[in-house]
Amino acid sequence: MKMDNSLVNNEVFVCVQCHYCRVCPAYSVLKWESVSPRGRIYMLKGIIKGEIEPDGEAVEDFYKCTTCGACEAVCQTSIPLIDVWERARAEFVNSGKAPLPVHKKLRDVAKKNGNPYGEKRGERGRWAEGYEFKSGAEMIYFAGCTASYRMTELARSTVEFLNKMGIDFTYAEEDEHCCGSPFLRTGQRDIAYQFFRKNYEEWRERGVKTIVTTCSGCYRTIAKDYPEIARELGYKWDFKVIHTVHLIKELVDGGKLEFEKSNDRVTFHDPCHLGRHMKVYDEPREILRKMGYEVVEMEHTKEESLCCGAGGGVKSQFKDLAMEIGKIRIDEALKTDADFVVSACPFCKLHLNQAGEGKIHVRDIVELVNERAKPLNTGKT
Amino acid sequence: MIEGVPFRDDFLERYLCSHDVSSPPLIKRFFKIADGVFQPEKEEDVLRILKFAEKKKIPVIPRGAATSGYGGVIPVRGGFVVDFTRMDRFEIDEDGRILVSEPGAVWWDIERELNKKGLTLRVYPTSAFSSTVGGWIAQNGYGVGSLAYGSIAENVTRLRVADFRGVNETENIHLYAGLEGTTGMITKAWIEVKEFEEMQAYAFHVSPEKAVKLVFSSDSYSALFLDEKYIRMKNSVHSTQIPEKDTLVVVSKKKLDGDESLGNEIWEARFYPMKIKRLGPGIIPAEVIIPSERLSEYLQRISGWNAGSEVWFIKEKLCAVLSFLPWDERKASYTYQWRFAVKALKTAKKLGGRSYSSGLYLSRESKEIFPGYNELLRFKKEVDPHNLLNPVKVFPSGIISKIMALAGVF
Repeated sequence: MKMDNSLVNNEVFVCVQCHYCRVCPAYSVLKWESVSPRGRIYMLKGIIKGEIEPDGEAVEDFYKCTTCGACEAVCQTSIPLIDVWERARAEFVNSGKAPLPVHKKLRDVAKKNGNPYGEKRGERGRWAEGYEFKSGAEMIYFAGCTASYRMTELARSTVEFLNKMGIDFTYAEEDEHCCGSPFLRTGQRDIAYQFFRKNYEEWRERGVKTIVTTCSGCYRTIAKDYPEIARELGYKWDFKVIHTVHLIKELVDGGKLEFEKSNDRVTFHDPCHLGRHMKVYDEPREILRKMGYEVVEMEHTKEESLCCGAGGGVKSQFKDLAMEIGKIRIDEALKTDADFVVSACPFCKLHLNQAGEGKIHVRDIVELVNERAKPLNTGKT
Repeated sequence: MIEGVPFRDDFLERYLCSHDVSSPPLIKRFFKIADGVFQPEKEEDVLRILKFAEKKKIPVIPRGAATSGYGGVIPVRGGFVVDFTRMDRFEIDEDGRILVSEPGAVWWDIERELNKKGLTLRVYPTSAFSSTVGGWIAQNGYGVGSLAYGSIAENVTRLRVADFRGVNETENIHLYAGLEGTTGMITKAWIEVKEFEEMQAYAFHVSPEKAVKLVFSSDSYSALFLDEKYIRMKNSVHSTQIPEKDTLVVVSKKKLDGDESLGNEIWEARFYPMKIKRLGPGIIPAEVIIPSERLSEYLQRISGWNAGSEVWFIKEKLCAVLSFLPWDERKASYTYQWRFAVKALKTAKKLGGRSYSSGLYLSRESKEIFPGYNELLRFKKEVDPHNLLNPVKVFPSGIISKIMALAGVF
């Protein structure tokens, strides 16, 4: 097998094999070298040097990675490991050794319906029944697939909050397509590019300048991957991309938003795509404190935060592994004696609630904000 | 393979467990890869693996985090790698200030728990974020704290070791420390720890001679010297702006008149000595122990190589000098540049020094590293008559030691 990607080809030789990346959540559970970031790098080096022709088991082990970036945060030689994993996965796809069966199925389903959940495209905006949206505005709410089909309370909370605050925005309903995150993470870049084009054209048509999303996966993809894809495909990229926590923080700081206070004790789970991928750590905590919550930290927090276990295609392809990782995070949360966990990503909420089996409840920050928001000076009566 | 003991024998896992951090040129072609990888979960598993290996006459090679570069974990003749990852439990005897640890426990995990109890390790390796208790004892390394407390072996009071005869608890640490598992597999270690004390790091821009005087005229906990070239390399990869001068960092509980801010900056980076690999990408290392009064001369003699050096001071007026020559490992010239490692060792020996460790590549140095080498050899033959415990390491035999001897000629 050839490994042509220049980033992968260069960076594997930078690795010192120090194993500081043993913090990897998948390795912590499975313990085998082939699942460790160090092992994966050495395998890529072996492929480049012609010492290994990876078989199915080897490729499977390579995909037992949530692309959470814990390895990148501790890497002694500062290797951009998230990019290396994603680019190497794309090479596996190009060489016919991937996608893995479930990832391929997600692709087939998404190609047909515009989402990886196999739901009908026409029902993407069903959660929004009862709300009215303008056909065009400078800001668009990008709900994402998980909030549209599985965690609809997040989408509703976001829209209600935006309406409360008198924010002028549009929503694309069934014309919104998957951002492509599951496919970029699993090496299936071509379909992500198709979704990019569809979303991009929709935003241009609606006169959008700012994209706001509640989903950390969508946020990372649109804020970080889309500009690169746009450059690659020759599209002009001048959109501002924000997560809802940015918007909420801005409103609070601008004196436009107060909250009905709570005395609850909460702990914040940093979504990998918001935290390590995009370095957003303080905003959600500051918002929670403004709401009166006592914010207690888990043992691993911010840059060292443990992954929920769902990302990078792990939840879909390796459900048991995802659950084991999720349970470790839940155990950390339980040790804080928090009343509940707060996160800022529908996928984290979905997965941690499943892994927690009711031991502790996980809520999204936008739900809390919407419930307790007291808009000030919005111009609305 | 052995019921209840985690095991894998697919090519990938065997391939991945058949190397360490080193990337030596050419010689690798003489290495076999492991026949399988065991991950024992308890001492009884280790005994069962040993029994199985003895019956089949197959080598067994213990493996910690494989963060050393002497080839100690490489299954040169094939065999079973015994990866101690799952044996990572440890207890802390607070009153006795003793750590009781399984071999797979990671130093920094231990340190975090010790700190919660107001205790701290006396010594730890600069690879503490990943390296293991068993691995470092089997290497008998020096590191942080070695100025006050010496090598790790000097802080181990008792070992529990498995060999083909069973399990043995011993205070004869020298029969195992630095011997890379060639005389038995460590299953538990008792290690002295100390009370946690607030300390500060102080930087001094001084020559190597002055550094030696400063270090050994005080009773500091730890001391690290970085030469100008190494600082220049670090600056270029860390995006730091450390003054590019020879610099000594002393860590002490006493207030010293050095630069505290710079001292702390350099001290915080002590866990990242190999960050400069990005400059190659690739590095050729040379690691020696020399008498401290010859440090300046040693650094002077290797200065023509454009390598950067960091020096850890050790009690008994010794120092461990780790020098790095960045070089692109993909280039044909990489092989030729390995002469640096050989020349550096020769230079150190001329100055009364020796190799830092033995392992596979430098097994011919064992006689100089271990004062009681002949006793150790007798012990090896007694406990391992079929030479199955990590063969070819420490006790030289076979083609590798011949090749290394040949390299020394050039």
